Amino acid sequence: MSIGSDRWVETAESRTEGPRGWWGQGMRHWNSLPPLGRLGILVAVAALVPLVVSSDFLVRVGVNGMLLALLAVGLNVSVGWAGLLDLGFVAFYGFGAYTFALLSSDQLGIHLPTLLAVPIVILATGLLGLVLGLPSWRLSGDYLAIVTLFFSQIFLELTLNFDRLGVDLTGGPNGISGVDSFSFLGFEFSSSTSYFYLLLVLIALIVTMLYLVDRSRTGRAWRALRDDPLAAEIMTVPIRRLKLMAFATGAAVAGLAGSVFASFQLGVYPLNFQIQFLIVIYAALILGGSGSLAGAVAGGIVVTLVLDLLRDPAQASAAFYGLIAVTLIAKVRPWRTLAAVVGATVALGFVVHVVVGAIWPDAVAGEVEATGVFGSAIQSWVVLPEDPTTIGNWAFCALVLGVIALTRVSARTRTILLVPLLYLAAFVWENRLVDEPSITRQLLLGVLLIVMMISRPHGLLGTRRVERV
Amino acid sequence: MAPLLELHGVSKSFGGLRVIQGLDLTVEEGEIVSLIGPNGAGKTTVFNLVTGVYAPDEGTIRLAGEDIVGLPPHRIATMGAARTFQSIRLFLNMSVRENVMVAGYGRTQTRPWQAVLRTRGARAEEAEEQRLAEELLSFFGKRLAGFRLEQPAYSLSYANRRRLEIARAMATKPRVLLLDEPAAGMNPHETHEITELTARLRDEGGFTIVVIEHDMHVVEGVSDRVVALDHGTVIAEGSFEQVATHPAVIEAYLGKGAATTK
Repeated sequence: MSIGSDRWVETAESRTEGPRGWWGQGMRHWNSLPPLGRLGILVAVAALVPLVVSSDFLVRVGVNGMLLALLAVGLNVSVGWAGLLDLGFVAFYGFGAYTFALLSSDQLGIHLPTLLAVPIVILATGLLGLVLGLPSWRLSGDYLAIVTLFFSQIFLELTLNFDRLGVDLTGGPNGISGVDSFSFLGFEFSSSTSYFYLLLVLIALIVTMLYLVDRSRTGRAWRALRDDPLAAEIMTVPIRRLKLMAFATGAAVAGLAGSVFASFQLGVYPLNFQIQFLIVIYAALILGGSGSLAGAVAGGIVVTLVLDLLRDPAQASAAFYGLIAVTLIAKVRPWRTLAAVVGATVALGFVVHVVVGAIWPDAVAGEVEATGVFGSAIQSWVVLPEDPTTIGNWAFCALVLGVIALTRVSARTRTILLVPLLYLAAFVWENRLVDEPSITRQLLLGVLLIVMMISRPHGLLGTRRVERV
Repeated sequence: MAPLLELHGVSKSFGGLRVIQGLDLTVEEGEIVSLIGPNGAGKTTVFNLVTGVYAPDEGTIRLAGEDIVGLPPHRIATMGAARTFQSIRLFLNMSVRENVMVAGYGRTQTRPWQAVLRTRGARAEEAEEQRLAEELLSFFGKRLAGFRLEQPAYSLSYANRRRLEIARAMATKPRVLLLDEPAAGMNPHETHEITELTARLRDEGGFTIVVIEHDMHVVEGVSDRVVALDHGTVIAEGSFEQVATHPAVIEAYLGKGAATTK
């Protein structure tokens, strides 16, 4: 036998399945397009959004989504590619925003033209990334995470206290307001729609640039560094320099996002850059698929849609019941069982409502948020106490325990248990969750992340990764 | 002419444990030298000292006449010392081709901004690196060619991972190639192939080779010279026959008295 002959590889082509169905065919056509073409199509579709949607609110949601997408793309450089767990990222965003605000407001009386201020901000934030990246020379993994988390906190403290330096630099807790809008080439960016298109162009530009870097020797060295730092260094990669490059690149993107944010919001406030927002950026990257540019963008947009659209109780309710309906249809088989579960839940509700109402009239005296036919149906179905706080909280705990129990019991018991739990979920939703939108949307985002990490650990558009095999 | 690799009076301790003690070792250009010795003799530590993973406590290490003590590993690798690992350390989530291309980092010049602007130089360099990676992988026949080029390294079999690691080390264009147990875990057929391959690496690739190996068939088949280590010092050196029959070597492997009773 000659060296290196391999029947398996020679015949691999004939054993590989082709794409199937309309989805497979569609994906095949899509994947056969050049990357720039795919980006172009997506941008063109996104560009239609402000023309189609009428409300300014939805355009603002789009702007927020693209800002988060841009941040996730920046974070992806250090976390997704170089594998450096950087929890100081929100400080880069904040630093960029504050620097832009200082260069374009009455705070210091400086009003630089946008085309001068933004490059300065990007450069300054990139330099900050170089400096704050230094601990990565000696620390990795959890240790690096803790130190960089500390940077996030320091940044926040500095913004809160740098109004007392003799010169009022950051405005303290009040932040800096009256930041200039972007304006260049004779165009003033004043409407949400103008920022929408600005961000669309910026994302297309940054994603293209990073895509090209990723495929160059620098990108390969970053990913080698993530998979095995020692082997990378033995294979001629100067890992210290590459770590700093990753930090600086991510920071520069965050600085750019910060400038856009400061001018879009017309101000910067310490509240914008808390650790909570760092978690949102991470959620976007992980949900979309760490290590994937398309994933980072998708994650940013999905997370923003979840968080912003759930502010409104009516939309949140629609999402809640819709999600339950979709899950039931997808997961409960056969149809007979599904029909039985839904029928039993509806029947249970009306019975409970009548019985509880007869014994204790106060228990059904509450009002639902929803209106119309669906609202009145819910009104006569769910038990709505006048003061639902305490009982609602207990019901929420019971619901969580019930859901956990649901994953532990046999299939038959699960079907039976599903009926009271569905009713309990509706009870908790109508009595407590709908009243606390800010908490509820965080909860729903958490549930989304949990489901995602169980069903698709590599995220929406990420590729499956291994640690050691 | 100075030897390609020269270790003189090298010592290394971990805490109170003296792993390498006053080691002298020279490797001439074009040689295949086997490093043998019982477990814990310090063979892999020698590789770690040469490639800069550890700095020696004492002594000098010269590569092509230049002192490399204290240099970071990537500098030493760029100067011409490449290695494989006893426990394979590939970039598992990167494709076969990319694994090899990573090792071109030290030889190539494209800056990130040149990659973004897609300058003529950047494109030419990238194309050349791709071609080189495929050429190096074709050293192993069709196993790592064709559609496998784009497969992630984690999808490869154990033997193919060993082969890929050797290709990756070759891609740094080294002068000396340090192979740490290339035949470990291989079946007899694959082991035989490694023996042939090592000779081809020297004859066709033009590399000087130091190989750590426990399989004496491989050692006998490939070595110009064999160096036996025990407790961090050289206990015997010479042809395979000389070392294999050396009383100190037999004692190190089989215990005191084994040499006389034979």
